[in-house]
Amino acid sequence: MDMVICRDVVKTYQQGRISVPALRGISLSIEKGEFAALAGPSGSGKTTILNLMGGLDAPDAGEIIVDGRHFDRMSAAGLAELRLHRIGFVFQAYNLIPVLSALENVEYVMLLQGVPARDRRERARAVLDEVGLSGMYDRRPPELSGGQQQRVAVARAIAAEPSIVLADEPTANLDSKNGISLLEIMKEMNEKKEVTFIFSTHDERVMEYARRLVMIRDGRVADDVRK
Amino acid sequence: MHLRMAWRNVWRNRRRSLLTMAAIAFACALLVFMLSFQFGAYEAMINTAVKVHTGYFQVQAPGYQEKREVRRVVENPAAVVRCLDTIPDVTAHTFRANAFSLASSEDRTYGISVTGIDPAREPGVSTIQTLVREGMFLEPGDGPAALVGALLARNLRVGVGDDVTLLGQGRDGSIAATVVTVKGTFSSGQDDFDRSALYIPLDYFQELYAMRGAVHEVVGVTPSIWAVPAVERRLAMDLERLSREKKTQPLAVLDWKALMPGLAQGIYLDLVSGLIFYLMLIIVVAFSIMNTFLMAIFERTREFGVLMAMGTTTGRLTRLLLTESMMMTLMGMAAGMLLGSAVTLYFEAVGIDFGSAADILRQYGISGRMHPVLTAPSLLIGPLLVCFITFWAALWPALRVRRLNPVEAMTHV
Amino acid sequence: MTLRMAWRNLWRNSRRTMVILTAVAVGVFSMIFIGALMAGVGEQMIRTSIATLVGSLQIHQHGYRDDPVVENTMEDPSEPQAALASVRMPDARWSRRVRVSAVAGNARHSAGVSLVGIEPEREAAVSFIGGAVTEGRGLSPGDPYGILVGRALVGTFETRVGRKLVLMSQAADGEMASRAFTIAGVFRAELEATEKQFVFVSLAAAQEMLGLGEGVSEIAVLLPDGADPDPVARALAAALPERYEILTWRELLPMLTAYIEMNDTFTAIWYLVVFIAMGFGIINTLLMAVFERMREFGLMRALGMTPGGIVREVLVESGLLLAIGMAAGNALAVAAVAAIGENGIDLSAFAAGVEYAGMPRVIYPALSFAGALEANLTVWVLGLIVSLYPALKAARITPVSAMARV
Ligand SMILES: Nc1ncnc2c1ncn2[C@@H]1O[C@H](COP(=O)(O)OP(=O)(O)OP(=O)(O)O)[C@@H](O)[C@H]1O
Ligand SMILES: [Mg+2]
Repeated sequence: MDMVICRDVVKTYQQGRISVPALRGISLSIEKGEFAALAGPSGSGKTTILNLMGGLDAPDAGEIIVDGRHFDRMSAAGLAELRLHRIGFVFQAYNLIPVLSALENVEYVMLLQGVPARDRRERARAVLDEVGLSGMYDRRPPELSGGQQQRVAVARAIAAEPSIVLADEPTANLDSKNGISLLEIMKEMNEKKEVTFIFSTHDERVMEYARRLVMIRDGRVADDVRK
Repeated sequence: MHLRMAWRNVWRNRRRSLLTMAAIAFACALLVFMLSFQFGAYEAMINTAVKVHTGYFQVQAPGYQEKREVRRVVENPAAVVRCLDTIPDVTAHTFRANAFSLASSEDRTYGISVTGIDPAREPGVSTIQTLVREGMFLEPGDGPAALVGALLARNLRVGVGDDVTLLGQGRDGSIAATVVTVKGTFSSGQDDFDRSALYIPLDYFQELYAMRGAVHEVVGVTPSIWAVPAVERRLAMDLERLSREKKTQPLAVLDWKALMPGLAQGIYLDLVSGLIFYLMLIIVVAFSIMNTFLMAIFERTREFGVLMAMGTTTGRLTRLLLTESMMMTLMGMAAGMLLGSAVTLYFEAVGIDFGSAADILRQYGISGRMHPVLTAPSLLIGPLLVCFITFWAALWPALRVRRLNPVEAMTHV
Repeated sequence: MTLRMAWRNLWRNSRRTMVILTAVAVGVFSMIFIGALMAGVGEQMIRTSIATLVGSLQIHQHGYRDDPVVENTMEDPSEPQAALASVRMPDARWSRRVRVSAVAGNARHSAGVSLVGIEPEREAAVSFIGGAVTEGRGLSPGDPYGILVGRALVGTFETRVGRKLVLMSQAADGEMASRAFTIAGVFRAELEATEKQFVFVSLAAAQEMLGLGEGVSEIAVLLPDGADPDPVARALAAALPERYEILTWRELLPMLTAYIEMNDTFTAIWYLVVFIAMGFGIINTLLMAVFERMREFGLMRALGMTPGGIVREVLVESGLLLAIGMAAGNALAVAAVAAIGENGIDLSAFAAGVEYAGMPRVIYPALSFAGALEANLTVWVLGLIVSLYPALKAARITPVSAMARV
């Protein structure tokens, strides 16, 4: 079953008078449970396509269907709702809400989902334990290392039990050791919970972890390899 | 959790939040003090006016208030008293009668207002007895004795024991002439009054001015000015019934506002102009606050992007931001109310010395030191006004997040 | 260069600058506007009082002021008249009066009043009465039986033009004198109290009624608007014997003088209060601007700028911000005063209250250069002083500490 379907997605940014074509027609489908990497040089359009898949932005042309839902037929509120229940995000940096502790950051999405407080806390603790952060529940983001912050972000993304996690260069700000261990965790989650993971990177070693590698160049799919 | 989040966000930039709360506290404290001050002044003015001059309400013949003619009398004051006695909120009452007359001493003559009072009942209604400076207050059974305003006594060049000749016109148009002996002088501090008032016993007045048992004013007192409207309604009904029985025109019931229209309107005017001042002040504060909120939001645009990516709706973000600003406002308000009450209570106890302006204030019935009075309205009105306006000042920046788009927000630096 | 840099820095975050500019502008506007209203009320009260028989200054017999009775009249006014002729007072007008307290009565009513005997043609240039008659006619010189009565008194006395009014007062010989006048005209005044207090007859009629001969109670002098009465008062005092007393309106109206002083104090307090309200915003905005640019300041230090230089930098920026806000506030205030100036603020809805407080019924704001200057200086000087706090914060940055901040 296809989790994500992109058909001829075109996105052009307007920078003053100049149009910057970011995506020139991307067609791509990703199945449930995949662990796929989007790779490509800087400016190739990785962030753009991830944002579109997350419903954070709308394409100029083409169609995006996530978990059976057609984005072009949905309102902003509907998209927010969909993100809340179906999609988790991990960004490159500044993922966390600085005023909330690690535990509260993870709890936050469940709070929005309306999960009762007791369940919320239990589940958040369990997920944090799974990403190896037991004992750091009450630390605030500035008191965590970059790698730990990203792990909290992953924990938060999966705690909501989404069908898909979109991660835009989750390892870019980490050294290679931390980067690898974050990927290990993501992979483990992918296998254990059957959550679809799509992440972007331009790091060779990270690409090796992916079971599917989609190469993007100049806003087009240049190559698509399954390993 | 939202509350906790909002609370922590407030303290993210401590200095800025403290300065903002200080601005709010300052405005609130100032308003608490100023309103207490104004209300204190009004209370003093009303009290003086009511206690020295008019009482809380009066029953008069229709038209007497405007014309003050001797012939417009309350013919049967005892009947009015019977009505008053059935109203529990009327704590005291007395009769008065007035007539314009010439008062002459050996070498001076002035036109003044002679008032007949009941020496036994008057002290229950007015404070004139306490204003006696020289000599004594009138006593029941006194005949041709007078209590004279201090400035009138000075102008007439008379003192206690001296004679004053009164010359006026009685109710029936006859000449009323007599000689009274000054028994005491009084001073209210209000020059106009002290220059033109002379009291004689009511019995003697009635005889002198051929009143045939009638009076001009039945003066009543209630526990506070707030009790007046109910009493006034009830009394008006009773008097109406009385007049229907006797087939006469009903007597008029006038509250202190109707008796002294200038005072009530003057207070109203002062209150309105004060509010305009305060509004301007609050608007200045509101702009400062709006800037703080705007900046706080501007700085956190990235964070809002993340929150929105996670599925937080803009409505929820707006609520979060409003919660933050209202927390600051409430803390500022609380501090301001505390500070304002402390300052007010201090001056309420000690009083404020107005120096050279004291002479002016005395003319309006505020004698000596001015005491602000902290009351629930003076404590709450200002801060609530501040709260209301800061809410609107915070709403604009908070609503701006609606225009945010998560992608743009996240690329924001 | 510094100015240009400060200017550009201000517009780096234009929304923030606009908001704080608005706060400063509203603050300065309210200072100047309310100052103008207060000054307007004060000036009108002075003008009304001066027109209501006070004048710029008055000459009396010593003792009249404490005890304004017939015995204290000037028996022969030629001496002060000569003095008035000798003292140089450009554009000054003066008029002689008899003023005593009296009782006015008709068949049904009587009341205490001030009986004023005037020289109609001279008085017209000195006090309000010249242009105040709205019904009937004014007095003619030496009018033997004509009397001018205030509208309010006419109302309470239930009378009208052409009716009789009997005036009683103590004459020079100590006996009660009375004389029947005919109401020649009805006058109106700013305050109802004035309409109830004064009745006017001709000087000759008053002198004859009271047996004063040539005697007058007072000579009122009106100087042109804005002229200082003190030098004239001193010159007159020097030219006249001890017997005479010369009092300026400030001495004649101690209450009003105290009221004006209270007004001035109040305006000053208002300036301060508005400034404090504004000050919090100014500090906050500047602090934000400074903290945002910590790295920049660090860089400037690294490039060799002294802490003093940075303080100056920040102060120039805040000075500029204040100046723009002040300019806008001043423009607003001038516009508002100009807009209201024509018709004034009508308080007739509060007529009784206005009367009670002795205020004018229509308020015309009076914008004074000194008042506006005072408001602007308060904001500018205090504004720069509070700006020192963020400026010193900025100056304390060292290149190292600035780079450490991300
Ligand atoms: N908001 C924007 N306005 C204008 N152009 C944009 C905007 N966002 C992206 N672009 C342009 O779109 C193209 C694709 O950008 P995108 O961020 O998707 O690339 P990327 O593959 O994520 O690059 P990187 O590896 O550097 O993150 C680039 O040429 C970029 O300059
Ligand atoms: Mg990217």
